Amino acid sequence: MKIVRNGNLCYACKTCQLACSFHYTKTFWPERSSITVSRNPQDGTIKWHMDATCDKCMGEEGLLCVKYCTYGALQILNNNANEQEVKEYD
Amino acid sequence: MIKRGDVKGCLAGRILRIDLSNKKIWTEETKSYAKKTLGGRGINSLIMINEIEPKVKWYDPENLLCFGAGSLVGTITPGACRVDISTINVFSGGKGSANVGGFWGPELKYAGYDNLIIVGKSKNPIYLYINDDKVEIRDASFIWGKNTFETEDILRQEIGDDDIKIALIGPAGENKVRGSAIIIDTAKAAGGSGVGCVMGDKKLKAIVVRGHKKIEVAEPEKFMKVVEKCYQKCKDEPNTRMMRKAPFNLYSNPEWEGWNTNIVIKNGQDDQWGREKRIRLMNPVTGIPSMQKGVRACYSCPIGCMPFMEINKGKYKGDKGEGFWINTIMGHACRFDISDPEAVVESWLLTNRLGLDGDYVAAGLSWIFELYEKGIITKEDTNGLELDWGNSEVLIKMIKKLAYREGIGDLLADGMVEAAKKIGRKSEYYLIQVKGQPSIEPFRIPKGWALAVSTSPVAGRHLRGATMGSNRYGPKPRPGNFGVTDYRNQAKGVVWQGKTKELEDNLGICNYVGTWSGANFLTITDFVELINAGMGLHLTEEELMDHYAVIGRNLEKAFNALHTDMSREDDIPPKRFREEGVKSGPYKGFKIDENKYNEMLDEFYELWGWDKKTGMQTRTCLEKLGLKDIAEKLAKQDKLDDN
Ligand code: SF4
Ligand code: SF4
Ligand code: SF4
Repeated sequence: MKIVRNGNLCYACKTCQLACSFHYTKTFWPERSSITVSRNPQDGTIKWHMDATCDKCMGEEGLLCVKYCTYGALQILNNNANEQEVKEYD
Repeated sequence: MIKRGDVKGCLAGRILRIDLSNKKIWTEETKSYAKKTLGGRGINSLIMINEIEPKVKWYDPENLLCFGAGSLVGTITPGACRVDISTINVFSGGKGSANVGGFWGPELKYAGYDNLIIVGKSKNPIYLYINDDKVEIRDASFIWGKNTFETEDILRQEIGDDDIKIALIGPAGENKVRGSAIIIDTAKAAGGSGVGCVMGDKKLKAIVVRGHKKIEVAEPEKFMKVVEKCYQKCKDEPNTRMMRKAPFNLYSNPEWEGWNTNIVIKNGQDDQWGREKRIRLMNPVTGIPSMQKGVRACYSCPIGCMPFMEINKGKYKGDKGEGFWINTIMGHACRFDISDPEAVVESWLLTNRLGLDGDYVAAGLSWIFELYEKGIITKEDTNGLELDWGNSEVLIKMIKKLAYREGIGDLLADGMVEAAKKIGRKSEYYLIQVKGQPSIEPFRIPKGWALAVSTSPVAGRHLRGATMGSNRYGPKPRPGNFGVTDYRNQAKGVVWQGKTKELEDNLGICNYVGTWSGANFLTITDFVELINAGMGLHLTEEELMDHYAVIGRNLEKAFNALHTDMSREDDIPPKRFREEGVKSGPYKGFKIDENKYNEMLDEFYELWGWDKKTGMQTRTCLEKLGLKDIAEKLAKQDKLDDN
């Protein structure tokens, strides 16, 4: 299973980063998250990164980052999804 | 007064205090303030009324500049990102307040502070650097004079941290232009009340914040259940998609009813704009919508209403920025009769770069255009510029003149009311202002809007209770009768909307995600559940509405009474809209009927618990809120209804 982001659908709201911190700490603590999001409001670029610490929300019902991304930018892909598909989702 | 346990969560815990005159920095606990008002604007208002003496003016060092992130900001609550900025209103002399979203407020909370209260004045330009417990007053001579975009870039490089969040002023604020804004993330403006002018007067160029701490809630699992329900509602609401691009989705349709009810043309000469101009400005292929490159959202917001714009042709091609909003259409286009899409987007970008409030620019400069048309001022007064309606080049030149106080800009920069006194010749009749602040709002057609704007404690803006129609975007039931043009029952709706806005500003929830849009997003029931699970209080809806939704407005009204001579007269719409009717369109002839308006105003005062005749606060109302000391202060000045 792999979580991928569709850059075209991402609004840079950082909700995924915050949701992930809740999974780990039961608090709201963006410094403790597997995801970091930042954006440049002048040129419009968005940086989104998920690091290797992601434990796929062990113990939770569902993946919190995916659940709280109301923009549908985060998607779950199976391990056997082909390259083409993954690329499409940035 | 509500006595239901202590606040146990959601707060960062401390209020940061900085004295710029004496270079002193200290903190105090937030809890007791939050118990009285919940947080955010409520805390700012409480501190202002307790600490600013009535004789203090906006330019005195004793004036406070207060920043308050709402109590739910930094949690994952939908749209909880807002900051209230309060200070003495440079226009009215009473309470000033502007509200802004983005990422700065959450960062302040992660740094460990709910509110930031600045007193005193620096001699030299400075900026504040807040990195958790490290708080420094730093020299800002290297950024003084730079526009907001440049300043943001330079500070990022200087500090070397991409995650800093910055609230800053542009050249307009530095030059103490009255209608200056505080700009956040280069895109979001805290516009009203002249908050940027006060920041400039304190020689404070920017406030840089970086936080690494956490926000805890009282009952995490329970809180998250409520939050999950709220997100689901926002996701399921069929209007969400439309609202993401509301300026485009609504106004691209030349038949949309808002074109008839919300628009003011040529500084109030008419409320109806030609169909071909609507189409030229908002054509999806060649107009403003074609410049939209994406949409962005504020922190933890599931709606996301901020288009990212890039001008795609003409002289300003390549200029870009985030956050284009409906006011730009109302203000920079219709008010000047400008239908050139690129110029309208450029004029909006320019106000952000120079740190001006877009509404002030639109209301103030369109007044000057009309004075030119009427021959009250001439080319000699305008440094040779021909201020003709529809001339976008001249508008852009005038915006720069205003920010840099060049020529006629210097006259206007001290406020339009002052300028009208100097110009004379009936010019004040054409100035659309409420309590001294220029206003772009529609008055003649939407009566709930007119009532809310005219009675706003922070002078002439719509966010303190304006109502448009019962079904603006969705089915949410609301009190009162919301036929847009009716007078009857409007007061109920305006008071209810005003109360919910109090809650939203204290909690830090964007009112678009809250109750204002009418879509099925967050409700009062959700607020109570979030407060109880998050802050560990045990409130009922009644307690929330009877106390926390009322106390803030009363603090602001009392502040106005103590600091100014405002009376019932100041809650009446501008004279022009009582005398001149709409000239064309389906609402031709509509104007404010003074008798009917006054009936509406009577009911409005009564519903807030104030004296129906004078609008003065009553002892009963204030004592019920635990504000006995404030009642005494008002009584001493003969500004309390003691019956
Ligand atoms: S929650 Fe979705 S839209 Fe928001 S930053 Fe994360 S991926 Fe982007
Ligand atoms: S799946 Fe869970 S752990 Fe992994 S990034 Fe998303 S929220 Fe964090
Ligand atoms: S609705 Fe718009 S302004 Fe409000 S928080 Fe969301 S993105 Fe920001």
